[in-house]
Amino acid sequence: MAEYFGVKVEDIFNTMQERFRPEGAQGVDASFGYDITGEGKWKLTVKDGQMNIEETEDLSDCVVVTITDGETFVGVNIGKVDGMSAFSSGKFKAEGDLGALGKTAKMFRKYAPAKKEMSIRDYLIDMFGTVVERFKPEAAKGMDIKFAFDLGGEYGGQWTVIIKDDTCQVIEKIEGKPTIKLEFMDAKDYVDFSLGKIDAQSLLAAGRAAVQGEINLALKWGEFFEKYLDPMASGEKEQELLVLKKTISVGQRFATGPVMGKFLNALKDKKILGTKCPECGRIMLPAREICSECRVRFSEWVEVGPKGQVRYMDYVYYASPDPLTGETRDTPYGMISVLLDGCKGNDTFAHIVRNDQIDRIEFGWNEMAGTRVRPVWNEKRTGSIFDIKYFEIDE
Amino acid sequence: MAHRKKNRNVGIIGVGQTKHSSHREDVNQPEMIHEAVRAALDDSGLKLEDIDCIVHGNMELFEMVFMPDLWHVLGTGAYGKSQFRITTGGTVGATLSCAADNLVASGMYDVVLAIGFEKLQEGHTTGGITNMADPLWFRNLQTGALTGSTAYNIIREFGEERAKKASMLYRVIMDKHAMLNPYAHRAFGLEFDQMDDLIKNSPKLVGDLKLIEMCSQSDGACAVIYASEEKAKKLSQNPVWVRDHVTVHREETFCIFGYDEKYPVTMTHTEAAKRLFERNGITDPVEYFDVFEMYDPASWWAVDWLRDFFLLEGDEHLKLVENREIMIDGKIPINPSGGVIASNPIGATALLRVAEAALQVRGDAGAHQIPREVKHALASGFGGTMWTVLTMLEKELNW
Repeated sequence: MAEYFGVKVEDIFNTMQERFRPEGAQGVDASFGYDITGEGKWKLTVKDGQMNIEETEDLSDCVVVTITDGETFVGVNIGKVDGMSAFSSGKFKAEGDLGALGKTAKMFRKYAPAKKEMSIRDYLIDMFGTVVERFKPEAAKGMDIKFAFDLGGEYGGQWTVIIKDDTCQVIEKIEGKPTIKLEFMDAKDYVDFSLGKIDAQSLLAAGRAAVQGEINLALKWGEFFEKYLDPMASGEKEQELLVLKKTISVGQRFATGPVMGKFLNALKDKKILGTKCPECGRIMLPAREICSECRVRFSEWVEVGPKGQVRYMDYVYYASPDPLTGETRDTPYGMISVLLDGCKGNDTFAHIVRNDQIDRIEFGWNEMAGTRVRPVWNEKRTGSIFDIKYFEIDE
Repeated sequence: MAHRKKNRNVGIIGVGQTKHSSHREDVNQPEMIHEAVRAALDDSGLKLEDIDCIVHGNMELFEMVFMPDLWHVLGTGAYGKSQFRITTGGTVGATLSCAADNLVASGMYDVVLAIGFEKLQEGHTTGGITNMADPLWFRNLQTGALTGSTAYNIIREFGEERAKKASMLYRVIMDKHAMLNPYAHRAFGLEFDQMDDLIKNSPKLVGDLKLIEMCSQSDGACAVIYASEEKAKKLSQNPVWVRDHVTVHREETFCIFGYDEKYPVTMTHTEAAKRLFERNGITDPVEYFDVFEMYDPASWWAVDWLRDFFLLEGDEHLKLVENREIMIDGKIPINPSGGVIASNPIGATALLRVAEAALQVRGDAGAHQIPREVKHALASGFGGTMWTVLTMLEKELNW
């Protein structure tokens, strides 16, 4: 028997019993005939929520007989051929009660082709074997890139995907100097990653994968190639899962209030003003109206600094977005807590340190002083945090 | 601080959660939430009509949806019911649990469903957290929840080698636990002999805080059902009793730890633990509790916070880690679920601590069930610059 779309006609009939839905067959008491040209004839009998299927030459007592060829029959059943157009074009015919035929649609769950197992090696062969057909020349116009894949483990191997002159080629080795090299300790991780079962960041974090070369180009893989579809996932084409992309950009105006406002205004005059708590004596920076620990209003303004010592610095490698501008910050940078002269304890002042000095900053602890620093003022001051460009070592 | 006993006892009678993952493009927000709600209802054998009130929460505006509970009504089942929305940052899941407990204990409602969720892939986590800082000053400086200050403190106190090893050992233990939890997002299969390599090679985020040591960014949801004693006994074979909870927070400043021992900073974890243990007559928490589901945003913090929560002294907390007493079969198992480092759908994360603790008490945690009887459980929530919620669960109603 011939296979159509990987499925035999008899597969459809042989699985009818397990796909049968009694709730869809309520009130049906009839026989249905199937005459599949060149394949054979089958009779489906439904009664009292039960069914029987048999291969037989005698379809005389059927209320309706479907006549079609194997390809159309299988195609319609697995969703590869549109039933209505097959019917209109005459490839799919029905003799007898057409209304009754419609009932059979509700009686069965959809046929899903039996899945054969795919090994990691099968996946790798399929993934790299379909690279060329998934290539989108218009997206990679003028590009000259070599993506190298070095996949370890029992089933691993080496591949290079070469994009040049709007064409794509795959070779099963790494030669020359690739633009980007992706290394996966275990080829299985690469397969899982490609199927969306594990994310790249997790693999990179665990040291199970590494990227060498132009990382930004690695991120463009998805633009140059259509997504790899798991052949095991389903017998029918998967619905595309749409993700709607939005970017919100909102102009905002934050009132500073009289206390923070006075503090910010003083920066214009190169002065740092703190508010002093009358009970615990701490100096709050930036200035706040209330000492939340003592729950009292501040009693006086105190000018402090502008020089001081570093008590702690966060050495930031992670490139995070500045939520006020949306711009990604340049890294590394140092966010410092400075104990300005005139302050004590934990009344530190938060700012950043001059970028080329972050490796020279020592932190103070208890009586021990940290690196001495001084503010570097901006020429143009508007009453904002960046009236101070940064702090630098006071030497 | 005034503290009053409950009007009536409250039991947890249903727990549900989704698989936590970085890839949930397959469902939208209400659909994902409904997975957890469905699981909690199935777990309890209840129907939606048995629920009197719903408490819903997540990180405010992380997905940039205002009043998401309106859209989510399709998944929460709150249509036509009393509903409250709560958003208290990282602690939100724990606050949801406190609120549900309070709503039942007060007598207002008999059966309350608490739902926490997050879809971090639909927003920007670090950007979202940075937005918490005041826009006039600190927002220009903050990097989300990332700081190397705890690593610095532990290294200063105990030396670089011991400190880094303790943090990485904690990390690997959490991964071993996560490997047992089918719902966990990140389960790498890390081995103890990889520690030196990870200490050396895992990319740094801030200071000595490395990528491998920081919590994940996950999509997921959790739902927990609370019922009055009378209802709980009627509806459930094995209710888990919510004995008490406490919330402590402090001024929103970025000096969390202090730089001078003469000027101690209020430590909310220690404060919360002291209050909770004192009013419940617990003198030795490590002895008393059989499991602690801790909100551990990074392995450094986790190691440090063991000392805070258990009111330990000196290096007792390091020894708990070094002697692997925090493993699932140890003296005081910490996060047999794999914890926050493994799965962090933030708005659900602290509720998951309560849910996982309840599963342990019930004996229903599956492969990550602690191999001896669990009678007393502790769960924590963490958020903001320093917010702490602690919740105590009990197997027997006998205190």
